[in-house]
Amino acid sequence: MSLISLKDVSKIYGFGDATTVALDEVTLDVEAGEFVAVMGPSGSGKSTLMNIIGMLDRPTHGEYALGKRSVAKLRATQRAKARRDRIGFVFQSFNLLPKLSVIDNVALPLAYKGISPVKRMKRAAAVLERVGLSDRQYFMPRALSGGQIQRAAIARALVNDPQIIIADEPTGNLDSSSSLVVMELLSELHRTGNTILMVTHNPELTRYADRVVYMHDGAVVHDQRTPLGEVPALAKRAIYMFPRRTEEDDLAGVSAVIKTMPDKSMDPKPRKRKKAVRKRKKA
Amino acid sequence: MFSGNYRLAWQRLRASKWHSMLTMFGIVVGIVSVVTSVSLVEGVKSQVINQSSQIGSSLITVRPGNFIQRDSAGNIVDVDTAQAYGIGSGSLSEQDILTIKESQLVDKVSPISILAGSLKLGQDSFNNSYVLGTSTDLPVVLKQKIAFGTYFDDDQEGAPTVVIGKRVAEQLFRDNVPIGESLNIRGQEFVVRGVFDEFGSSVLGQGVDLNRAVFIPRNKLKSLAGEAASLSHILVIPKAGQQKRAVKDINKSLVRAHGGNEDVTVLRQDENLAVASGMLSVLNQLVVTMAVISLLVGGIGIMNIMLVSVSERTHEIGIRKAIGATNRQIRNQFMAEAVTLSLVGGVIGIVLSFLTSFIIRVSTNLHPVIAWPVVAAAVLVAVVVGVVFGTVPAVKAARKDPIEALRIST
Repeated sequence: MSLISLKDVSKIYGFGDATTVALDEVTLDVEAGEFVAVMGPSGSGKSTLMNIIGMLDRPTHGEYALGKRSVAKLRATQRAKARRDRIGFVFQSFNLLPKLSVIDNVALPLAYKGISPVKRMKRAAAVLERVGLSDRQYFMPRALSGGQIQRAAIARALVNDPQIIIADEPTGNLDSSSSLVVMELLSELHRTGNTILMVTHNPELTRYADRVVYMHDGAVVHDQRTPLGEVPALAKRAIYMFPRRTEEDDLAGVSAVIKTMPDKSMDPKPRKRKKAVRKRKKA
Repeated sequence: MFSGNYRLAWQRLRASKWHSMLTMFGIVVGIVSVVTSVSLVEGVKSQVINQSSQIGSSLITVRPGNFIQRDSAGNIVDVDTAQAYGIGSGSLSEQDILTIKESQLVDKVSPISILAGSLKLGQDSFNNSYVLGTSTDLPVVLKQKIAFGTYFDDDQEGAPTVVIGKRVAEQLFRDNVPIGESLNIRGQEFVVRGVFDEFGSSVLGQGVDLNRAVFIPRNKLKSLAGEAASLSHILVIPKAGQQKRAVKDINKSLVRAHGGNEDVTVLRQDENLAVASGMLSVLNQLVVTMAVISLLVGGIGIMNIMLVSVSERTHEIGIRKAIGATNRQIRNQFMAEAVTLSLVGGVIGIVLSFLTSFIIRVSTNLHPVIAWPVVAAAVLVAVVVGVVFGTVPAVKAARKDPIEALRIST
């Protein structure tokens, strides 16, 4: 029995004409102890997949079981508790609470679990030592470098001893030397038995993974095992292999349609379109 | 977790003091008005009770106009506050004094007419005073001592002689001896004969402070003011142990004398309390209504600020949910903030109430009494306002979708 098992999982946003298929019948099994790198162009459904596995979101169709339990039957509170106890999130934008000190941030999941302040401070301090931030415990996040903040975020993800660590582009906002430190940390967690799911755009980072999943338009298009320390040839080409589709491309398509059908043009003023682009980017 | 929420809420409150102060303003005003008004009423009640015990419970007051309803057992069931507050409607006459004196159950009778006016001593004047025309029995009836000099006696019925209240003596004569000095009342000179000891205030009800009053023979008042000097009170001391029967007897004989009209009110001293609190309860209802409105406005202010806070902190909510906060935990966090805001507002309100009642105490002759149950109730009300008006924003926060919340940039 796999740790994570997805069967024909789909996620559809919107209704009627505005329907977007974010995930298209994805079937995926992840064993305990695997380090899976998920690659694919933006808009290919990587983040949606991570959100569903991380129980932040629910699939529209299909079965998702974490361990032996089907997630479909869990209620909101149970899913929140599963996030707290079984899953650790690491985000591209770190997402530490700016008004809490590093150690308070790390201890927060323990607080939600109802552990006494003294115990959770001890535990948080131990985890911070593990990521090499013992001397930054009482700093506020803004006083730390990007790499240090991300290590604190990893500490927060680890503090409840989760079965799965979900990292959505953990090095996306970091320079290369900080990235290296963060990746070495994840790699070490992998060696000690943690299951890690990592979304990345950077083919170089697949060398830390022992499995690479390629996604495109909401579907898993390729799934390969790869020896640790090697970057599979496909990963390097992945970005070029599959046609890249971005919001800009979509808009280019829309303006092409408007040009070909001048009668039905709604409002071709460029100012409006620019606004739309900005709005989309924000989202 | 619970205490952690409140610690966090307190930190946020302190971090934006002005913001929080303005948010709490409505609550503060509401609590101050409730606590102050209730303490004023309590203070007046305890003053009335003090006077009753000071004068002696046997005193009977006859007043013009019928403003109470009694049941068959003689207990007051209803008070017409509008009439009770007005001074007389002229339905007591000289004849009534004699009617009361005829009763077998009556020991002493002292009629009172009241005129408002100012006093003059050379260049100095004393405003907002009362001129009481009364009889020689008044000090005995009220059990009030004369501090200096003597009260006027029977053979001075028409003489221009006056006994003054303590406050009048203090302000007009300062360190001089007032006895034998001449005082101008409504253009006539009166010789000061005595000074009363300090009265417990408003013995006659209606806010008449006897310490600010001067007492002259009733015949003299009639010659001063003519028809305006109508009888406002007849104070009666019944024979020992006959108070209840005396009240009934006086009432009966007065109604008979007035041709069957029930147009007078006969009150025992302890019933003055009921009348006084009846009057105050109208005032009280008014202030409580105002306080409720201001608490409502304050609560809506808190709700508004909390709603703003929730939408400002959407990203934070997303993070908290991602790392495992349940909806209930998010709700409690925001609830704690609303309750902290209103509770701190309530505490500030209580502190300001103590200050207000202190100011009232030193600047007027009222003695507000802040009772601890009122303080406890104020705290409770503050908490309830926080809970009631914090619920909507807190539930809104708890229901946010974590993915949407995370996507919104800070």
